[in-house]
Amino acid sequence: MAAIRPMRLASLTQTRCSIFQTAYNPTSARTGAKYLRARLRGPSMVKYYPQEIDMAAMVRQWPELQLVNHAEEQRLRDVEDRKKRGKGAPKKAKRKEDSRRANRKR
Amino acid sequence: MPNARVLRDIKARNIVNANEILRRAYLYVARNESLSPQVRHQAQLQLNTFGKYTRPTTVKNRCSESGRGRGIISEFAMCRYQFRLKALNREIPGVQKASW
Repeated sequence: MAAIRPMRLASLTQTRCSIFQTAYNPTSARTGAKYLRARLRGPSMVKYYPQEIDMAAMVRQWPELQLVNHAEEQRLRDVEDRKKRGKGAPKKAKRKEDSRRANRKR
Repeated sequence: MPNARVLRDIKARNIVNANEILRRAYLYVARNESLSPQVRHQAQLQLNTFGKYTRPTTVKNRCSESGRGRGIISEFAMCRYQFRLKALNREIPGVQKASW
């Protein structure tokens, strides 16, 4: 059996590419086609976490419904309670020397 | 309210989704050997200007219940402990404790 010449093999590949509509790339040069061929991953990435209902946005969107954001109300109540016990956030410094950071012991 | 790491991950996911097509186009030009080196280099420079969260590798699957980053059973998007708790409570359809 005689060996098949490389030229014949190449023409065979070329014909096969034209029949099956694939790109003929004998030198295997990088065409970057894989970046276009790959499916987009973004849409499924966005859907990973279950959708949460944004109460604050709903209250803002429909003020006429008079919805109550219970979690936010509770938070504000807790902040008030903490202030009464003297555990609120410190006053904002007016000057640089007033800042707690400047008076910090090292 | 999910924890800060989950919020950051959600943000990354949205940014990746928004920039994916443009990034792919630049990647195609930059990796295409049949184009001129100048054009490919320009495309690579453009790719470098994209932000950190536009890269899909910055997205991490975290637990949708507790926000834990390790031991995630990806099919249920939950960490192994939350999966166990929910499975034992029969809150996951089609999952039951093995017994034979």
